[in-house]
Parts: sequence; C-alpha cells; structure tokens
Amino acid sequence: MKFYVESLTKCSQRLGTLSEIEGKPSVAIRTPAVMLHTQKLSQGGQIPHITHEVFRLVSRKPQILQIPLAGMHTFKEAIQYYEGTISSFIGSKDSLSCLTLQDPCNITKQGHHSSLKVPIWTKNGKVYYDAKSYMDVVESFKPDMYFLLSDGDTNISSSEKRVSKSVSNTISFYKDCLERHRKSEVLKHSFVIAPVVGGYKHLAREKYIEAMLEDVRDVDGFLIDGLHNNGPETEFLEFHEIEPIVQCIVDKLPVEKLHVVQGCWNPVNIIGMVELGIDLFDTSYCHILTERSAAMTFAIEPTERTNAYEINLRDAKYVDDFQPILLGCDCLSCAIMCTITCDSLKK
Amino acid sequence: MTTTKSPLIFNIVAECPTSKARVSRMTLHHGSVDLPVFMPVGTQGTLKGMLPEQLEKLGLQIMLANTYHLGTKPGPEILEQAGGLHKFMNWNGCLLTDSGGFQMVSLLKLAEITEEGVRFQSLNEHKAEVMLTPEHSIGIQNAIGADIIMQLDDVVKTTNPNKKRIEESVHRTTRWLDRCLKAHKKPDTQNIFPIVQGTLYEDLREQSAKDHIQRDVRGFAIGGLSGGESKDDFWRMVHLSTDILPKEKPRYLMGVGFAEDLVVCCALGVDMFDCVFPTRTARFGCALTRTGQLNLKKEQFKKDFRPIDENCPCNTCKNYTRAYLSGIVTVLPVACHLITEHNLVFQMSLMKDIRESIKTNKFPQFVAKFMLDLYPDKNYPTWIRDSLSAVNIKLL
Repeated sequence: MKFYVESLTKCSQRLGTLSEIEGKPSVAIRTPAVMLHTQKLSQGGQIPHITHEVFRLVSRKPQILQIPLAGMHTFKEAIQYYEGTISSFIGSKDSLSCLTLQDPCNITKQGHHSSLKVPIWTKNGKVYYDAKSYMDVVESFKPDMYFLLSDGDTNISSSEKRVSKSVSNTISFYKDCLERHRKSEVLKHSFVIAPVVGGYKHLAREKYIEAMLEDVRDVDGFLIDGLHNNGPETEFLEFHEIEPIVQCIVDKLPVEKLHVVQGCWNPVNIIGMVELGIDLFDTSYCHILTERSAAMTFAIEPTERTNAYEINLRDAKYVDDFQPILLGCDCLSCAIMCTITCDSLKK
Repeated sequence: MTTTKSPLIFNIVAECPTSKARVSRMTLHHGSVDLPVFMPVGTQGTLKGMLPEQLEKLGLQIMLANTYHLGTKPGPEILEQAGGLHKFMNWNGCLLTDSGGFQMVSLLKLAEITEEGVRFQSLNEHKAEVMLTPEHSIGIQNAIGADIIMQLDDVVKTTNPNKKRIEESVHRTTRWLDRCLKAHKKPDTQNIFPIVQGTLYEDLREQSAKDHIQRDVRGFAIGGLSGGESKDDFWRMVHLSTDILPKEKPRYLMGVGFAEDLVVCCALGVDMFDCVFPTRTARFGCALTRTGQLNLKKEQFKKDFRPIDENCPCNTCKNYTRAYLSGIVTVLPVACHLITEHNLVFQMSLMKDIRESIKTNKFPQFVAKFMLDLYPDKNYPTWIRDSLSAVNIKLL
C-alpha cells in the first residue's frame, strides 16, 4: 500500500490517496478519511451494533477497519492456526485492516507500566505486550496496516516524568518493531504507521521525532499518539488545547507520509485537525454518541433541515414524533428510524 | 358498492398422501405466506439483532409481536398515531400478535383470572392493578394492526392436574372468544384466531375444538401445549386437535419451534408455528444445525475454522468461522446478530424443505432422512416413533 499526497505544504489541509494495495489493486481510499472503529472486549473486529452485512446496506465502498489489539487478544492463539488474514477472519475480507493497540472508545487506565511493556485490557484482564510479543501477533494477523507498539499513556496533564518515560519506551519499541518488520516476509506489504509520543510537551515531542527520523525508511505514516487516554472524555477536549501540540508535531513530520490521529473527537476538532494536515481518523465518536442514545443532527448536505447539533432519543418528547432523525438525510437510519426508536425504547 | 376482500384467503397447494401434512398459501392483508411456516418472534416490534431490511431480504413473510409488551410500551395510543405497528417498525410483511394473556400468567406472579378478564399488577412505575379483558386485548391488537390476532384465552399451566379448573378454562376461553369477536373493530384487515385449550385432557380439547369451529373465523390456534408436558402427551393432543379442526382453514400451533417438533407437527397437519427458541438461543451462543445444536461457547470451537454449517446459505456461514464466532459470542450484541441470522435461515430453510418435499410427494422420505441425520444411531425417541407411525411414516 502506498500513500500519495497532492500538496506538500506543511500544516495545511491536503488531499491524498491510499492505493496500490496488495491483493486489492482496484481499491483506492481518498483522504482525509475515517477508519471504521471496531470494538474491543472480545467483540473483536465488529463495528459496534453493525455486522459487516448490515454495513453493506450503508455503503459498499471499500473501508479500513480499525482493529484494536485489545479486542483481538482473545484470538491470539487461534489465529496462529488460521491461514487467512485478519480481515477474512473477522468476516470482512473485502475491507482493509488497520491493527491498533488500544480501543479509542474505552479509557486506557493510567499507570500499570512495566519497563518496556505496555498493558492492554482484555476480557480476561490486563495483559502485557513487549515489542517481540506484539510483533508476533502482528505477523499472525497479517494486517494491511498497523501501528508500531507505543507507550502512549499521556494526556494534557501528564507529568514530565511520565512523558519522558513514554518517549524512552516508545523509542525502544520503535527500533525493535521496525527491525522485526524489515525481517518479516509476511509483513512486507503491510503499511507501517509509527506512533509519535511525548504528551503535550513540545520538547519531548521534538526529541522523539528527532530520534525516530534518524531511521525512518519503511515507515509509511505517523500516528499522533499520547494526546489523550481514549474513552468518551476525548470528545470534550477543546481545539485550542490540542492545536499547538498537533501543529508542532505535524510541522516536524515528513510531509509526504500519512498523518493519523485516533480517538472519539468531536466534529469541530476533526475539522480543525484536517486543516492542520491530518489525513486519517476513526469513527469511535459515533459509538460513544450511540451509547448515550444520541444522534447527530447538524446539517452536512444542503438538503438537510435541522436546528440542533444532536438529539437524544431517550427524550420523552420523541415518543410520538414520527419524523426521521434528520429530515432530508438519506442514511439507512433515517430510512429505518422507527427501528431505532424501538431499540431505544427497549432499554 | 365496493366488494370487500377477505383478510385471509387460504388455498391448499399440495397434500401428502401418507400423512396429514400439506402445503398451502395464506394471503393476508400484508401479503402471502407459504405454509407450513415458522414465525420468529419480534417481541417489542423488533426482531432482536435484525433489521426489517435484512428479514425482507431473507424472504421472511410473517413474524410475531407481543401484545403485552407493545401494549405497555409504547402503548396503543402511540401505535394508533403511528398508523399501526407495520409503519412504526417499518415492516411491510405480515404480522401476528398474541393476546397478551400468556405473558400475564407467565411473567407475572400476581395474575388473577376472573370471568371479566386477567387482573395483574402492571409493570409500570405505579404498580397499579390492571385488568386485561378480552375487549381490551382486542383493542390493543386493533391498534397494533397485525394481520392475524389472537383471542384472549384463559391460560392454565399445561401440567396443572386440576381437571375442574381446566374444564372451566375451556368454557371461559370460548365465552371470551365470543367477546373478542364482538369487540373486533377491524374485521376487514385483521383475523381473530380462536385458541383450542384443554391442556392434556382429550375430552376437553375435543370439546374446545368443537365449540370453536362453530364460530365464523378463518383459522385456529392450538394453545396450552409446549408448557413442560411430556412429548408423548404433546403429540397426541396435536394429533387430536388437527383431526377436529377443519382442513380448509390454517392451523397454528403456539410456542413450538424445535426442528424435530416442527417436522413431526407438520406431519400431524399443523401449518403455522412460533417460538422464541431459535432467536433466543442464538443470543446465548447456540447455533442450530440439522445434526443438532452447537454451543459456540465451548472450548472445542476455538480453533475450528469451519463455518457453522458448510451447506448453509446464510451470510454468517459464508463469512465467519466457528473459531471467530466462539470468541465473540455472548460478549456484545454483534455476535448475537450473526448467530440469529443463521438460526433464522436454518428455520426458514427447514420449512422450505418440508414444503418442497410435500409438493414433490416425498415428505415421508424427507422425514425419515431428517430423523436419521439427527439420530444416526437410530435411537429415536419413543414419541417420534409413535407420532410418525400414527400418520403412517416409517423411520429408516
């Protein structure tokens, strides 16, 4: 898989294409784009509440599935005996897969660190991964894209010490994982995304990027990691809180490579980050909205008539409201809004 | 002058010359249904885990919804405003609703049955005492607007040995039937089916069936079975009921959905079935196959990369392995959706095979092969041997 970007201006919005995908020569994904978030727990590889079959009712265009390892850990052993790729194992062989570490919808518990090991929380509790065990899993999953291992456990209030530990751990993971990638036959077509850590400390970010750029061959993209600890809180970060650090990082990254940010960001922040040159996001925001029975109702298309940003379907005033969620919207949900009403009534 | 179209037209397409099995077509207000049919249960106006679009694509013609649940939430007023359940849930196929009486008795400890109706403590926040009368049940069912609706019956636990109480319930059920028919507001689009009661007493069942066939109705249900009685009693009651119920009207056996029960009861002349089992068991991780059930939670499937059933045409079998399903079952909803789809396709293709075998005059052979697949060591349960031999079907 290769990434082509149309503009080489730093820190500005850009169009790009992911194409030349191994085994899927006709597929091209235009960026800025979203990966379809799939869930952790042992719900590995499924969009929350939507089977791949139902998704096909929404769109038949090729998609990238964001698959958190936290959700696939349970299959670690089985998949060693499985011949196909992770996409076909989870029942969506036409989709592209992007293996990530944590689930952006679930808060990653802070602390729990061990030197050169990263904790993930699975159905059966905490499990540690180091560079070797992580790359073992990546090799058996054979994803189209994957994040290298990182210690991204930082947020806006992390201490200098935590940030510096995160940087030194991740530098080590970066080297070990990349070395392993280069030796790996099965991963030779996989698209490598290197996490960039350093919390909200500009110096730490610069230090990390400098170390990484010493050897950046075979890295196809960068993940701006360590901005938050995942979970619904991410939605409430203000753009002015993240803008300086994201800008500082994007400014130092090679402009021709893919820039990724994970998390359930609100749409305003997504637009802000697109303007800073981020190419790839994920749909975890949709999941946390659905969990609180909310539906986005701000207008995107000129046909859509609305006066609210979002509505909460648990509100009693909707009990006898027989309109679709958003007038003029042609999504499946607006066509089938009654089903959703019933679903929420069940709770 | 306008000619009103009957809300139920029943045509027999083919009959098995050996047993009582038959294939027929029932045309209702919302479309036609090929019988024998299995009707999955969408309790609250949604078949859990499946969109109406998916059900339509699977070729589902009719499903069931529960009056008790819908009458509690969203309630008849909202359903009326929505223009009925079909519009509310966006399902254009046929619907059948029960009377709500069964849930009163099964879900609620405090139900008390009097001549007026069923008195129970409501599940809403006020916990007020509510009375469900035959008129009230039909009122809610008229608001829901299903193509087939059920009379309120006096439900007695199938294993209750008190014959006097059962006799009372048989007579009361018929009295309530007359009240239901009188209260019915939409006879042009909805059909009331009476329910044959009498639990396990032959004489009472006979009486119930004979009373009901006097009424001007277009189909009949057999109730009060599938409630913990022995299979030996069960099949005899079905056999007896279908002998009395008229051939030219559909017969609906309530609460039956196990594959072998469907096959046997089709042979006994039943046309319609419903049961929560296939969809509920799916949500607990159990997949149905012609050779038995697979509990996908089991360790043995963790590295089993075969589909649930290699011959099954469903999406789940086309795209997913047992190993994958095993890892995700019972944790969060999507796995339930996938297994629900498989189990629905399983039930529907079983019914289709039954219909095809009757049409091609091979039903007895189909039954024998079906039972052999299920009991390869030929250790057939007695009730299966007896019931099938009562309709001249020999096992292999």
